[in-house]
Amino acid sequence: MALRDFGEKVKKQFADFLELPGDVILDLPKITLFGDLKLYIENHRGIIEYSTSGVRIGVREGEVIVAGEGLLLRNVLPDEICVEGKITALSFSY
Amino acid sequence: MLFFKIMAFLQGYLVLHVIGNAPERFVNMAAGRGIYLWDVEQLNQEIVIIKVFLRDIKALRHIARRTSCRFRIRQRVGLPFYWAVLRRRKALTLGAFLCLATLFFLTSFVWVIEITGNEKLDSSHILQAAEQAGLRRGTLKWHIKPGAVEEKIIDQLPLLSWSGVYIRGTKVTIEVAERIVPEDGDQQPAHIVAKKTGVIKEVLVLSGHQTVEEGDTVSVGQVLISGEIFPVVDPQQLEEEDSEPEEEIKPLRYVHAMGIARARIWYEGYSEVYLVETGKRPTGRQKNRISIKFNNKEIILSGNQNQSEPFEMYESKILINKVPEWRNIVLPVEFITVKYFELAEYRETRSRPAARRMAEERAQAMAEENMSDDARIEERWMEEVETADSDKLVRVRVVIEAVEDIGMEMTFQP
Repeated sequence: MALRDFGEKVKKQFADFLELPGDVILDLPKITLFGDLKLYIENHRGIIEYSTSGVRIGVREGEVIVAGEGLLLRNVLPDEICVEGKITALSFSY
Repeated sequence: MLFFKIMAFLQGYLVLHVIGNAPERFVNMAAGRGIYLWDVEQLNQEIVIIKVFLRDIKALRHIARRTSCRFRIRQRVGLPFYWAVLRRRKALTLGAFLCLATLFFLTSFVWVIEITGNEKLDSSHILQAAEQAGLRRGTLKWHIKPGAVEEKIIDQLPLLSWSGVYIRGTKVTIEVAERIVPEDGDQQPAHIVAKKTGVIKEVLVLSGHQTVEEGDTVSVGQVLISGEIFPVVDPQQLEEEDSEPEEEIKPLRYVHAMGIARARIWYEGYSEVYLVETGKRPTGRQKNRISIKFNNKEIILSGNQNQSEPFEMYESKILINKVPEWRNIVLPVEFITVKYFELAEYRETRSRPAARRMAEERAQAMAEENMSDDARIEERWMEEVETADSDKLVRVRVVIEAVEDIGMEMTFQP
């Protein structure tokens, strides 16, 4: 695990040094939030759980949890998901 | 988003109910295989609604089996399904196609030919010329060459200086412009006669024999310039022959008299204006009542429902529209529109000078009414007529002296 952590560290420094966007090098999710109405998440790893009150979306080494009311998945694409509804909270868990 | 909706409609999509323990896995696997899903919504604990393109449905069956989910098609939306309906209902498709074909067939003929711009020339001549160039009722539109028809019409009818042929739908409009040619009537023998009573001021003879002198008073219809030319008679000879029985002198020849005969003419105008004027006039407010009359029953469609009067004072105008008669069928239906115009009483008081000015204007207008356009006003008199009730109203008389050409051509048979 230590070797992998080291690898990550090098990557992050490399990205910082070259001022490259993190989502490309580090494989991070890119989340765009439009008020509390709409959320785009790019570079995801699939839906873990879906209901109208909450959506859990897998990302690299963890998940993004969107809580809200009347949530629906407007788009489901291999690399992008759009969640619509009244969003009340957005959290990460690892 | 609208673009996407249109594309989805054209390609056809399905609304599915996915039933199973883990619809998320179903969605993930579908997305992972490049199947586009949208509007994923949870209906209740077990059922999730998704939308998917028609072309992806086969792949979904496989995914459903792998993820132990089931799905049910709830709704089919889009053009491909309409196509399927049409394929099943062959008669409907055929009918629609036939309808379009008939429409196309019928609109490819010329049904109406309209001719505009001809005043002297009869339309039938133009139609004949157009027919020679291939334009007649019932010909196919694309067989007509507007340029060729235009040329033919101009060739055939020297009276026309220009023609234009326009095809609009099933109607062909032929526009023509006529050449202005001198009329034959100009060569006929004619007198110049007076069209108004007046005192001759000057006569200019271009052709003919002058019969009136300056200062003569002429009445309507009197010959001013004669078209009969008499032989010159020696005055001496005339005296000698005085005793002899008078022989009727025959005119030598007849001409078309031309010339200008200006005369003084007096025009009179009279008007009276009350200092205090009362009456009724429209206020501009208006109400309509539309009704249908069927046989003798009248049904009011809009406007005042009860037959009561719409205004305290009003005048009404009734318009009746009938269905045009066709053959022997007369429909007993009439559309009746009644327009009510509100009237209001008014009372206007004027000062004496204002009333006088108004009366003068009216009298002037009245006098000028009969004046011809080329008349030149020489002098103008205005007088107030004094009467017993002069304190109530102003009476004004206007006399205009004008000089104008009173000559008028009148042909005669020699």
